[in-house]
Amino acid sequence: MQRELGSFPIAPSTRARLVAAGFHTLHDVIDFSGSEVSREAGISEESAKEALNIFKRQGSNSQILKHTALELLEQEQAQGSIITFCSALDEILEGGVPLGKVTEICGPPGVGKTQLCMQLAVDVQIPECFGGNDGETVYMDTESSFRVERLVDIANACVLHCSLITQAHQEEDHRLAMQGFTVNKILSQMYYFSCQDYIELIAHIHTLSDFLAQHLKVKLVVVDSLAFPFRHDLEDLSLRTRLLNTLAQQLISISTHRKLAVILTNQMTTRIGPTESYLVPALGDSWAHAATSRLILNWEGKQRCATLCKSPSQKERTVQYQITHQGFRDVQTSQPQMDTAKPEINPRKRPREDDTK
Amino acid sequence: MVILREGLCPGLTSDIITTLKTNYVKTVVDLVSSDLEELARKCSLSYKTLVAVRRVLLAQYSAFPSNGADLYEELKLSTAILPTGNNKLDLLLDSGLYTGEVTEIAAIAGCGKTQVCQSIAVNVASSIKQRVCYIDTTGGVTGSRLLQLLQSKTDQEDEQISSLQRIDVCHVFDVYKLLDILQDLRHSLSQQVVRSGETLRLVIIDSVCAVIYPLLGGKQTEGMAAMMHLARELQTLARDYSLAILVSNHITKDSTSGIRPALGRSWSFVPSTRILLQRPEENAQSGYRTA
Repeated sequence: MQRELGSFPIAPSTRARLVAAGFHTLHDVIDFSGSEVSREAGISEESAKEALNIFKRQGSNSQILKHTALELLEQEQAQGSIITFCSALDEILEGGVPLGKVTEICGPPGVGKTQLCMQLAVDVQIPECFGGNDGETVYMDTESSFRVERLVDIANACVLHCSLITQAHQEEDHRLAMQGFTVNKILSQMYYFSCQDYIELIAHIHTLSDFLAQHLKVKLVVVDSLAFPFRHDLEDLSLRTRLLNTLAQQLISISTHRKLAVILTNQMTTRIGPTESYLVPALGDSWAHAATSRLILNWEGKQRCATLCKSPSQKERTVQYQITHQGFRDVQTSQPQMDTAKPEINPRKRPREDDTK
Repeated sequence: MVILREGLCPGLTSDIITTLKTNYVKTVVDLVSSDLEELARKCSLSYKTLVAVRRVLLAQYSAFPSNGADLYEELKLSTAILPTGNNKLDLLLDSGLYTGEVTEIAAIAGCGKTQVCQSIAVNVASSIKQRVCYIDTTGGVTGSRLLQLLQSKTDQEDEQISSLQRIDVCHVFDVYKLLDILQDLRHSLSQQVVRSGETLRLVIIDSVCAVIYPLLGGKQTEGMAAMMHLARELQTLARDYSLAILVSNHITKDSTSGIRPALGRSWSFVPSTRILLQRPEENAQSGYRTA
């Protein structure tokens, strides 16, 4: 069976002309040259050539990622992830926020979504010899909740912490890496975009791939929050679903092609059930499919809890965390047991212990 | 409706085509449906050639009738049932995924659609050693999870490696790329030399909703068209090359009767079997067959 022209991404007017001229399937049109097609179908030569290029799949963005599962596994093992500085959370995420995937963070106001985002924005820049990614960050802020003072706090704590490791181990590559790793460097490697409404956000995400092509070191894209602009100025619900799904596909595509992590934050909403009502992440059920994994931050009494509720490779679990002056951290009381449970085999965990000593 | 051109059939020379064209006969349908006697007079061509040409064209472009008994024999030869690796699910599906059919898994988010897809892929690749093409549209498939699933099946490392090599993973993020992949797949299948043992038997698309939703909704008809193209492509692929196709789908809320799989009524004719996964009762999977 031949593939029909309708199944190619060409302009509807061009397609209508082609079909009217008798070109129905790929087979009919593929042997002709641009000028012949344009004469037969009565369309301009440029559009005929453009259409033919699409049919023959010649072009910049026509390559398709394809590999066997074995290659995929090797890539994943080489990739690593971004640590959160909260060892319990790192553990349920298997080493931190994965690169090449989209992670959604949901939670009620004040639970620490933005804090976690800022923490990750700093952590991704930790030099490779300390178990970091040595990357840069793109931060899209829609709620104007980003505070640069707070980021300096977190960055200070992180730099201090790495210098402590350098002192403790006295290794040459650590010392070298430390020279370049300063608060100013961290701040200069962060690209901050402020978005006022959803149109700006969509525009930023559309141009993101061009931006990333110029800044190859970017390893993390944060959108804080995705929900806010879409929840307050969009009346048309079906349009919202469409836009959101398009955005989601774009972000997934970017994260897979460029091997970077994407963090989206989402708000919570109340769903009224038949007997009781409960808090669920906002933006509806169809959005729930969009992110690859989903982390819900919540209050339990006075304790902050993080639940991993959707993930392709880990099981569902809940852990506790707290937010300190230094940033996003483990709960102190549970720390001793945690340390005995995991001896210092994993180099990723070492920074944490030094910090709490 | 194929355009008339040289080499389409013997006897159809370029002179004939140009004369036909001046008389507004451009496509095969035009030629076949026109009154040949009148045409011969108008174009001053010989009636005999036109009849001959028409006969050849008709033979080329009409459907070929086939015998019911032959069809049944062929079906018996080509159909295979791929076990899913889960006894209860196999029982529900009448012992597994049938080749030549499209099977759909629908569930809400975080319910385990991707898990089911991955475990079926692993099972087909390791237990019965067939190739699997896993088309991932949501970035959900991870090599580490596939390895975990494999490790639960076998301890031998080389066997795990060869099983992983049998699974092809493609990442696509819009429906046109997906159609491109399917076209490539068809192309490679039609040229494939028959090798015993390792033929492609299962295509998994996880998820089909993610690529179609961005086009659907509002007043767009484009999405609908793309969806139907995809549907037809899947069905003919399944039929022509006796593949089992597994797609995953979302769930939407219905105002009247609770939940139902997404993408609406026209999609509901595509899969021949639908599995609905639900969360509350542990391992409760309800399935139903549709025509």
